[in-house]
Amino acid sequence: MAGPSLRPHVHWAQRHRELYLRVELSDVQHPDITITDNVLHFKAQGHGAKGDNIYEFQIEFLEPVEPHPVCRVTQRQLNITVQKKESNWWERLTKQEKRPLFLAPDFDRWLDESDAEMELKEKEEEKISKMKIESRVPKDPFRHLKKGYLVMYNLVQFLGFSWIFVNMTVRLFILGKDSFYDTFHTIADMMYFCQTLALMEIMNSLIGLVRSPLIPAVLQIFGRNFILFVVLGSLEEMQNKPVVFFVFYIWSIIELFRYPYYMLSCIGIEWKPLTWLRYTAWIPLYPLGGLSEAVAVIQSIPIFSETGKFSLELPNPLNVTIQFSFLLQLYLIALFLGVFVNFRHLYKQRKQHLGPKKRKMK
Amino acid sequence: FVSYQVEILDWKTKEQLCFLDKVEPNATIREIRLMFHKLYPQWYPARQSIKLDPKGKSLRDAEILQHLPVGTTATLYFKDLGPQIGWTTVFLIEYTGPLFIYFLFYFRMPFVYGLDERFTSSPHPVVNLACICHSFHYIKRLIETVFVHRFSHGTMPLRNIVKNCLYYWGFAAWLAYYINHPLYTPPSYGKKQINFAVIMFLLCEAGNFSIHVALSDLQRNGSKTRKIPYPTKNPFTWLFFFVSCPNYTYEVGTWISFTIMTQCVPVGLFTFLCFIQMTIWAKDKHCTYLREFKDYPSVRMPIIPFLL
Repeated sequence: MAGPSLRPHVHWAQRHRELYLRVELSDVQHPDITITDNVLHFKAQGHGAKGDNIYEFQIEFLEPVEPHPVCRVTQRQLNITVQKKESNWWERLTKQEKRPLFLAPDFDRWLDESDAEMELKEKEEEKISKMKIESRVPKDPFRHLKKGYLVMYNLVQFLGFSWIFVNMTVRLFILGKDSFYDTFHTIADMMYFCQTLALMEIMNSLIGLVRSPLIPAVLQIFGRNFILFVVLGSLEEMQNKPVVFFVFYIWSIIELFRYPYYMLSCIGIEWKPLTWLRYTAWIPLYPLGGLSEAVAVIQSIPIFSETGKFSLELPNPLNVTIQFSFLLQLYLIALFLGVFVNFRHLYKQRKQHLGPKKRKMK
Repeated sequence: FVSYQVEILDWKTKEQLCFLDKVEPNATIREIRLMFHKLYPQWYPARQSIKLDPKGKSLRDAEILQHLPVGTTATLYFKDLGPQIGWTTVFLIEYTGPLFIYFLFYFRMPFVYGLDERFTSSPHPVVNLACICHSFHYIKRLIETVFVHRFSHGTMPLRNIVKNCLYYWGFAAWLAYYINHPLYTPPSYGKKQINFAVIMFLLCEAGNFSIHVALSDLQRNGSKTRKIPYPTKNPFTWLFFFVSCPNYTYEVGTWISFTIMTQCVPVGLFTFLCFIQMTIWAKDKHCTYLREFKDYPSVRMPIIPFLL
């Protein structure tokens, strides 16, 4: 009933590992494609050069192939992909030397051997770089524990400094200026606690728990604790001075913005107003803080001179003199330099975090 | 026989500073420097940095023109290194300062400890001993600079000398102030401590001197090539078995002994800073040796045997 079988136009191309066959038949519903004994058998009903008909062809491959062809049918053609058993460049598609009449090269997908090699190389490199990206971030089994610890730490600090801030504000309203003079006695214990706990921040940076750099953290913590424990803590006379109020108040306001921001960023939440506050509030607060610390140091210098505290006079077995008041003067210079350098660093940071949004804010 | 042409451009502005015609292919950079100096008398050869690349390293005097990666018209770049001062001059100034500054304090000049204490002397023998040791150390260094050392680089920039002098002279003044102070306290363990320190001091000074002599012998025939230093018959040089730069090791030893002798914190601080500086230099030297010599003894450490 069927006449001599019609052959469709078939275009072929190859890569090192596979063969592509494009069969020019449209509206093919159920193609029959098998490979047995290294021969591809194709039979399908479709619309081709000779109209709507059954088309079929056979191809015996030059070298062994996997007997599992993959076929993709589109409206206008069929794409068959056949895997070669061995990765090899074939000089022709068919075992027979003469090219079958229905077969032609597929110039759309054609690559010569060297180009195909380059394509392979590019694919390899893509794979390697993808693997590298994946291996750079291994899943850390402790990450939940670490996050929990950081959130707790920041929360505790936030609560501590909130207590300090609220306490000082309330006392300011009730007692007015008089609250300046006994700030130290009421607040110092909590401040000692918070600042001692802040040493953990150095640990966190040291063991890599937190990504912030180590040295600025060390300098900041050292600076604060020096003022708190040495300049204020060791001298009774300093503790009654009003400057203590300002130092503590400014520290607590700065921390009120810093710790909640860290807490939320640990969990991965970003509250835009808080971010803005954290990266803007330091602009007035940081220099004011530095100034109040400087005033505290300046006021303490005469007291250290008189009492000779932390100072060493001759004669002594070490044969050296230490004038603590002189060291404090050096510290003042370092303080101003530090504030200046840190100010620039925070400004850069601000630009990084808030940069593109700055226009909106205005 | 092809004669080369050399043009020298300013490294920053790239303007042509000179064009040398008919240069011999086997001319050395040193000769080119001399020719350049003739055209620009204010830039003597030591001040000239001649390079192949504006941002590259300066070419050495011994390099030969035809061995450089240049065509027959070579383009070289010039950078002014600033006023230079010879190493010998530098060392002479650096070491004479502490020598005389110490004496100002030892003899208690009136402006140092006040008029009441002027020109008095200390009742403690260790103070006299310290003066002798300190002076001996610097006199030895001056003698070595004049007679023993051979310097690989001829000069250093002038501004370095201000920095170095401030450091050495300042520290000398600071530690001399405390050692010769009327209220000086001699070492806690008395004669035992002092004697131990003196012996250690003498051993380290002898060691340091031996090493300097050995190093200078290595380059006695005037060859510019580096050689690996090896231990000689002198027992002090046997430290070369363990250490690349035993001269630095002995130097730190000298200062440690001086610290023990005087029991003075400023001396200790100076010793500590010397140790850090010399470790940096020793590590540098060690790395250079490792790079240049494939068969460099692997047992050797830079400055402390087995440790550092």
